[in-house]
Amino acid sequence: VEQDSERALVPLRSELVGTPRAPDGRIDLPLLVAAAFGLAVEAQRRSLDAAGAVAGRLGWPLRVLTRPAAALARGSVAAARHHLDLDGWAARGLAEQRRAQAVAVKAVRALIAELAAAVLDEIDLDEVVARVDVDRIIDRVDLNQIAARLDLDAIVGRVDLDAIVARVDLPGLTEQVIDEVDLGEIIRESSSTMASETVDALRVQGMRVDGLVSRIVDRILLRQGQRQTGPPVQELRP
Amino acid sequence: MTRDIRYAEARALQGHRAGFASRVVADTIDLGVAWLLGLAALLAAGVVRYLLTGPPLRLPVLPNWLDAGAGGVVAVAYLSLSWAATGRSVGKQIAGLRVVDRAGRRLSLWRSFCRAVLYVLFPAGLLWVLASRRNASVQDLVVRTAVVYDWAYHGADEAPPTGDDRSSRPARSSTQA
Repeated sequence: VEQDSERALVPLRSELVGTPRAPDGRIDLPLLVAAAFGLAVEAQRRSLDAAGAVAGRLGWPLRVLTRPAAALARGSVAAARHHLDLDGWAARGLAEQRRAQAVAVKAVRALIAELAAAVLDEIDLDEVVARVDVDRIIDRVDLNQIAARLDLDAIVGRVDLDAIVARVDLPGLTEQVIDEVDLGEIIRESSSTMASETVDALRVQGMRVDGLVSRIVDRILLRQGQRQTGPPVQELRP
Repeated sequence: MTRDIRYAEARALQGHRAGFASRVVADTIDLGVAWLLGLAALLAAGVVRYLLTGPPLRLPVLPNWLDAGAGGVVAVAYLSLSWAATGRSVGKQIAGLRVVDRAGRRLSLWRSFCRAVLYVLFPAGLLWVLASRRNASVQDLVVRTAVVYDWAYHGADEAPPTGDDRSSRPARSSTQA
């Protein structure tokens, strides 16, 4: 940066011989000043020439009088051109302008950086995030497309299932499940149901055999009609 | 606990007088139970004797008359108490039978005792069920009782069947309380 600013002070040759107009068409002010100065000098020289011509026509006595004055004027112009070094001043002005531009750019950049830091310090990011409507963002996200792009096999392959299983308290879980399930009640219920169904099947077989035996005996005894095996209660009814 | 009887024919016969086969099954089981009770009594006597007099531990051998008499007492006690209590002994419970009087009520202890004594003295009286039109054994005729199909399990909290309470007669007890 230091070298760039130093270089900006040194006029370049291209700046001196180039077009007097800036690339965007605007007239360069230092060049204009320099040109105005040169114009004034030229005007002075021409006015001196005109004065010399008038004196020549007036005759040699006047010529003798005016010649030293014209020579003096010419000399002053030359001396002015030589001593004033207008091109050099113009170049110096341009260089000064470039340096000022560079300094300004640098200052603006620093200012922007400071400004941004100050703004960021002032902003409460939590509050900003709280104001973000995440649901709307999620609505706009095509999760299916994202899921389609996921390589689940690779992900599962990277998971250490053994480590996960090792971290699960299987005996504790099993104990909880057994505590929740009343195994004794289930066994009691199912076994009692099974037992009662078995007993019922045997009882109904007994009933059928009862009827069969009764019919056989009645046949043997040549008995007519059916047995009176109704409930005892019904016999007592009036 | 309420349980419906799945067999329609069994539902229709609840409260009706049971036939010969069912009663033989029930009485056979009861005979086994009485025998087990006698054996348990003998075993208990043996243990008591062992505790009092020392080894060896063995079942006491009773004289024949005492053996038969004790067996009869055990059987009478078991049958009369179970009939008077619930109307059904273990064998009748398994066979789904219940002993009731002519009104369908639970037997009194006296009637139950008489019936048990008659059965122990004259088991062959059961054979009359084959011939009886009302499926009655000799004991049933003498003591005026009947044996009916009753598959229901009467809970301890249920009042025993009475003649005044028609709702608890065996014919209605197709479901248990």
